[in-house]
Amino acid sequence: MENPARRASTPPTAATRKLWPGALALLAVPVLLLIVGPHLPAYPLRILDMILLYAILGLGLNIIVGYAGLLDLGYVAFYAIGAYSWALLASGQFDIHLPFALVLLIGASLAGIAGILLGIPVLRLRGDYLAIVTLGFGEIIRVLMNNLDGVTNGPQGIARIDEAHLFGWTLSTPDDFLYLLVAMLAVVFLFVWRIQESALGTALSAVREDQDAARGCGINTTRVKLVAFAFSAFIGGACGVVFAAMQRFVSPESFTFWESLVIVLVIVVGGLGNPFGALLGATLLILLPELLRAYADYRLLFYGMALVIIILARPRGLIARQFGPSWLMRRLGGGKC
Amino acid sequence: MLRFDHVTKRFGELAAIDDVTFEVKPGIITAVIGPNGAGKSTLVNMAAGSYGVTSGRILIGDTELQKLPKHRIAHAGLSRTYQNIRLFDGMSVVKNLEVALVPPKAGSLIANTFGLSGRAAAEERRARCHAVLERLGLAAYAERQAGSLAYGQQKLVELARAIVAEPRVLLLDEPAAGLNHGETEQLKQHILALRAPGLAMVLIEHDMKLIMSISDTIVVMNRGRVLAHGTAGEIRSNTEVQEAYLGQPGAIKDIEAAARGRRNRVRIREGEGLTWHQP
Repeated sequence: MENPARRASTPPTAATRKLWPGALALLAVPVLLLIVGPHLPAYPLRILDMILLYAILGLGLNIIVGYAGLLDLGYVAFYAIGAYSWALLASGQFDIHLPFALVLLIGASLAGIAGILLGIPVLRLRGDYLAIVTLGFGEIIRVLMNNLDGVTNGPQGIARIDEAHLFGWTLSTPDDFLYLLVAMLAVVFLFVWRIQESALGTALSAVREDQDAARGCGINTTRVKLVAFAFSAFIGGACGVVFAAMQRFVSPESFTFWESLVIVLVIVVGGLGNPFGALLGATLLILLPELLRAYADYRLLFYGMALVIIILARPRGLIARQFGPSWLMRRLGGGKC
Repeated sequence: MLRFDHVTKRFGELAAIDDVTFEVKPGIITAVIGPNGAGKSTLVNMAAGSYGVTSGRILIGDTELQKLPKHRIAHAGLSRTYQNIRLFDGMSVVKNLEVALVPPKAGSLIANTFGLSGRAAAEERRARCHAVLERLGLAAYAERQAGSLAYGQQKLVELARAIVAEPRVLLLDEPAAGLNHGETEQLKQHILALRAPGLAMVLIEHDMKLIMSISDTIVVMNRGRVLAHGTAGEIRSNTEVQEAYLGQPGAIKDIEAAARGRRNRVRIREGEGLTWHQP
């Protein structure tokens, strides 16, 4: 047919827009962390590591919850799969001692596959139903780890996990992990930002906004959701491997429903669908309980109250969806938007 | 181009569509009219894959749409607008259009995400969206959030989203519902401008003035059946149609009242009801 739509008219590209101010602003955070981090005493440094880990988890979960709008309450399952991968493949448990880089890949891939396997039956569900099934999945994985005594050592967990070595570099102190986590955060951040800006992100947003209309526009909703699940689970798995290498001990206790909830809160408080939100959310949610440590008895009360206040005051999270990295680049880059 | 071949749709005992056969030809505008409950929207929803068919076939060329999952129907070249606007409210206008151009293959989606391929294709998709927006006079709103636009503009964005993938069949489900006089006139010009040799357009509308002025052919439906099929002139002089409901002065009022009732969500112009007299 005649194709008048293709009569070229160029979109308003940002020819006049500069990239470097935005790029510098984005680089500032990791650079700052790398400069300041190693000078911190051990305890704050360990907290910083946990913040980074939860930020990465938040970025990963955001693909499903923030971009596709599917509430996943069992994200910790993927984290657990990654953690147990390292615990089983690099410890005295079976006397297997694989290199860290390989297990990082294996653990993340296993989690990704688990994501797809979980996704195939449940992605027809939406809303509350999906939340309940994913919650169940999280619990199943935990209970499995708890009861597979012969493999996972049951509730006692697996200790004496190997020290991680990455290309000749030993990862043992909190500073070592700081470098690793900052690098991971950078990679994952760029990746999820890329998803948001790519055709996949467009498809996921459409699924979130109106699934039926998205299908009417030719989006294979099941397929894009599966891809999202796989990516998200992959990131969760990678975090699990790092967690196990950091703690050098895993037990089912680390993977309760509470953990899933914290990760969901990280992105809800920070701002659903916004990569910056995950960073801010993780900072708050990990830092707050530590700051409240002095009031041990009332800690959870204050924590809960703080969350309720944040959600009431900022229902879309601390940083709303549209103020993401692309917005920052446009804002700082000048030129026409 | 789009062919309904002995299509029947039952909801329980009720036959919403009863053995309907007709063809929508490319290059022209086919209006489907009839009182509420005649089955017009059911027909659109079946063609678009929202409802299954009880029996019969719906074809584009040799492709049997009723056998395809909903998203494949879009790829077969059919797109639609909705009676009640269904935009992706939280997304920008241009992103709304881009949804219709998302590559279907998971492989290319993943490759595109990693930035491995498709950069030029993505640019081209974007350019196509902007070209369509320009055509419908929406260029200024490209980066606005779709949900924040005025009602009439949202209707146009929906039209833009429906045509950006260059469909072979375009189903317009009450595009003028809730539009004011000027907006309807503008819409009419856009629809007329869309007429192209490769595009079959189906227009479901209650605005008889609009229908009579732009339709090349009209299908009249009543109680799930095709009552008549012909040009505006033929339909107006068709005694069967007149006898069925048009000839009775009361009937037209009934249609009008029903049309108002179902549009309680949208605006309808006062004092400008349905009429069979050409302007």
